[in-house]
Amino acid sequence: MVSPRWRKVMRDATLHKARTALVVAALVIGLVGSGALLDTWSLIRRVTIETYVASHPVSATLRLDRVDREVLERVRAMPGISAVRARRVVSASMSSASGELVAQLFVLDGYGARDIAAVEGVAGNWPPRDGEIAIERSSLDLSGAAVGESVSLRYAGGGSVPLPVTGIAHDVSLAPGWMEHVVYGFVTPATLLRLGVAPGLDEVQFVVGDPSLDREGVRHIANDVKLALERDGRKVLGVNVPVPMQHVHAAQMDSMMFTQGAFALLTLLACAAVVVNLVSAMLASELREIGVMKAIGARPGQVATMYLASIAAIGILATVLALPLAIAIGRRYAALKADLLNFPIEGFAIPWWAIAIQLAAGVVVPVAAAAFGVARACRISVSEALRDPGIATTADDYRVRKRLRVPFLNRPFTLSVGNAFRRRRRMLLTLVALTLGGAVFVAADSLRQSVRDSVGIMVESQRYDLIVRTVEPQAAQRLEAAIGKVTGVVAVEAAIAANATPLASDGTFGSPFPIFGLLADTKRVVPKMLAGRWLDTAGEHSLIVNRALANEDPRLALGSEVTLLLGGKPSTWTVDGVVDVAAQPLAYARRDALGEARGDARATVAAVVLSQGEREKPLPAILRLRGDLDDAGMRVAATILSSENRRALEDHLLLVVDFLGVMGWVMIAVGGMGLASTMGISVLERTREIGVMRAIGAKTSAIVAIVQAEGLVIALLGWASAIVLSVPMSVALGRAFGAIMFPVPDRYVPTAAGTLEWLAVVAGVSIVACAWPALRATRIPTAAALSYA
Amino acid sequence: MGKSPGVNVAPRMPSGSARRPGYSPNCVSGPPNGAPLPFAALYSAAMNEPLIALRNVRKTYRSPAGDFAALDDIDLTAHAGEFLAITGRSGSGKSTLLNLLAGIDRPSAGEIVVGGKSLASLDEGALAGWRGESVGIVFQFFQLLPTLTAAENVMLPMDFARKWDSRERRGRAVALLARLGLDGHADKLPAALSGGQQQRVAVARALANEPPLVLADEPTGNLDSQSSDELLDLLTGLASEGRTIVMATHEPTAIEHATRIVTLADGRIADVHG
Repeated sequence: MVSPRWRKVMRDATLHKARTALVVAALVIGLVGSGALLDTWSLIRRVTIETYVASHPVSATLRLDRVDREVLERVRAMPGISAVRARRVVSASMSSASGELVAQLFVLDGYGARDIAAVEGVAGNWPPRDGEIAIERSSLDLSGAAVGESVSLRYAGGGSVPLPVTGIAHDVSLAPGWMEHVVYGFVTPATLLRLGVAPGLDEVQFVVGDPSLDREGVRHIANDVKLALERDGRKVLGVNVPVPMQHVHAAQMDSMMFTQGAFALLTLLACAAVVVNLVSAMLASELREIGVMKAIGARPGQVATMYLASIAAIGILATVLALPLAIAIGRRYAALKADLLNFPIEGFAIPWWAIAIQLAAGVVVPVAAAAFGVARACRISVSEALRDPGIATTADDYRVRKRLRVPFLNRPFTLSVGNAFRRRRRMLLTLVALTLGGAVFVAADSLRQSVRDSVGIMVESQRYDLIVRTVEPQAAQRLEAAIGKVTGVVAVEAAIAANATPLASDGTFGSPFPIFGLLADTKRVVPKMLAGRWLDTAGEHSLIVNRALANEDPRLALGSEVTLLLGGKPSTWTVDGVVDVAAQPLAYARRDALGEARGDARATVAAVVLSQGEREKPLPAILRLRGDLDDAGMRVAATILSSENRRALEDHLLLVVDFLGVMGWVMIAVGGMGLASTMGISVLERTREIGVMRAIGAKTSAIVAIVQAEGLVIALLGWASAIVLSVPMSVALGRAFGAIMFPVPDRYVPTAAGTLEWLAVVAGVSIVACAWPALRATRIPTAAALSYA
Repeated sequence: MGKSPGVNVAPRMPSGSARRPGYSPNCVSGPPNGAPLPFAALYSAAMNEPLIALRNVRKTYRSPAGDFAALDDIDLTAHAGEFLAITGRSGSGKSTLLNLLAGIDRPSAGEIVVGGKSLASLDEGALAGWRGESVGIVFQFFQLLPTLTAAENVMLPMDFARKWDSRERRGRAVALLARLGLDGHADKLPAALSGGQQQRVAVARALANEPPLVLADEPTGNLDSQSSDELLDLLTGLASEGRTIVMATHEPTAIEHATRIVTLADGRIADVHG
């Protein structure tokens, strides 16, 4: 048999359905937001650990002039190495239903190898046979092709070779093709030959035996391999050691999850603020009953247990409702994230510990949020509780109202302003939820604008429409002359593209990065300088690095001297400038100096400016350019449109910014609920006051105006405080975003549009949130209100 | 008063009716049915000690205009079976006196001893527990919990005090209500009862744990004359059973039922009659 006190708890919950529903709704929102993030993170973690690590990712890749059996055996025999394979990666152009695309073709020595970066066939034939191509799953949509259809591939100046797509493969080590705007294909050496590619593989990849080795440890082994191969007379052109056991996008993903997790916690905090308000309202309305219970013998602990248990029950109900929603959203979001990492999540269940954390949070958060209020209410003396007069006007309240009196404001509005300040703690809690939501909303808008500005800066720095890459290096002037003659080309500038590897004094090397040799007075690349000088005023052996490279390698800080391995030859450079260009690490040098340092002054890329008309529809100009260069004996490896580059970049950035916007809306919804509950309580507490106003002639419209104006006062305070908070938040977000994704400028002033938009949103939220309390206020019968005790 | 070891022991009731020979749910209290008197009342009677004793009690409240003495220099005792009426004008200190006796409020100075227990020695939690077992309170505005039925309201003090076995509580509550003329009303919510009926439920609730002391603050203030008479007869009956009744009132008809009348004026005892 249920005892009377628990019956009271149950009946109170059902009696105040709207209040209970608001608490449940606030908790559900907070739990769904944070739970979905936790579920996503737990799934991604499992996927990356179980799938990626199980694929035996490559520890290091060495690029040689040629890789044969002897090289493979030599590397395999070295200590600390568990698996070896040879590879070749070739860039080509692909024509398909989607148009002209950049394709990256992989040839692996032994497709069936399970002990090194295993590539799986997921549909059709695997591995591909001669004359066929298997496309990596993440670029299938981009390619516009399907199994059974054909794609046309063209390598350099060769003719178009149709290849049937016979299979779909999955390579977990690749960044998704749709995001990189590259179609990944797997072919055989014989197929490459048909495309006109010189035979042979040129990369050796290996996996170290000790999976616990850090990057430095692997670098030492790679260095030993390099030296051993060089002793054998092989030419090592480059060494790449990625962060061990970390997917190419994993750092971005972790940071993104961390940032988003912080916002999920903020949402939970906002929900907790709403719960605190609602619970204190519940306790305020039950103060007299608490007094009666204590008068008839209830100990403070017994009363506290009743209320905390009822809140825990509400928490359990909210968790039961939130859990399936959080799981559903978490799975969808994880699928999206997994797509970013190029992993499938099918078959992965949410781990039990993630469910347990959500269950615990569902009970602990509301109980913890309510604990202080419950303890305070239960400590109140019986006489105080029985005397509780409801809301009282204090001398302080009067002073606030007097201070706020503005001559042109009418008395009801002045009353509303004063009312807003009568329960200051409650108002502050409501403001917490509204301010957090608004700040995220405005900060997300600022970040979106910063990203646009940043992409604009990058586009502004790239004063060309097209990049042309040739198969063989060409004399720069000859290449410029050939391209300049093509109809539709307005300007052209050739550049040297090479890979540079920093060398330390102890013989170890850093991560290789791309370096571009430009004319000292280049007109095609005009980057925004962050520090130091640009090529036109810098010295001959000056190196200009972008922010990403300066951040990645401390040896490349402004003013430092660095030795670079260029085409196998060491040369010394001084870092003379830092520029705000591109998200990936890269550097610039003077074309003549770079040519001299690597012993080859020929160019492999050219930046091309098209006429206005050609820019709109560039394909005919590209085809003409390819044809003319072929005729001149300069085979084109690839053409890359700047607009495509921009789209690829935006695809990377959109997700994060949009997610923040969604979080802002969720938090505003929570803030709106907080405001609704505050106004509901305010009307309840002032039932008698409203009755008096009615008795002395206040019309329905005046009562509605007083309630709505009070809500609006709180909303406007929320608007202003959110604007203030959005400034440090947007700066912090921008910096985090810059560290994770793409550098963006600090923005200290929110956009006018964002500020006004937030004003409209908060005013709308206030009107909606106050609608029900205002209606309820007008329905209070005067006689009942006056006898309300 | 000298303190013997027994004096400092709170007037505890038996923890279950099984240990109380002669108890039946239909016979909840009172000598007329042969049921035992509350322990404290028996103790008080046997030792000829007063059940309540107030010595030099003073209660002041702070206000912006300075300290205000609601009660001053109060010396008062009452024995088991006495029916005390505290009377006086509005603001004379009647309710404050009752609050002090119930341990709802604490005196600014002086000592209050009830059933041999000094209330100053009890903290808030202990006071609540003591109140649940030893004091029944009847309020002017009934103060029934609106979401509980009449029986549940009566069961609530038993629930808090855990004095009776949970299976017996409803039977006891229904029997108490029946004794107070509320047969058939046990499962009604307070809103469905008249003012007189609600006040009788409140009295039943006050008696739920068979306290030796019943405090009633203007219990007839919200009742019609017939309900008032019935309630006053009821309180008189309780006093004749050996309970001490202290009633604050300013109604002359209510005062007539008391065995002793204490008149307060400006927080001081102005007159004691009877």
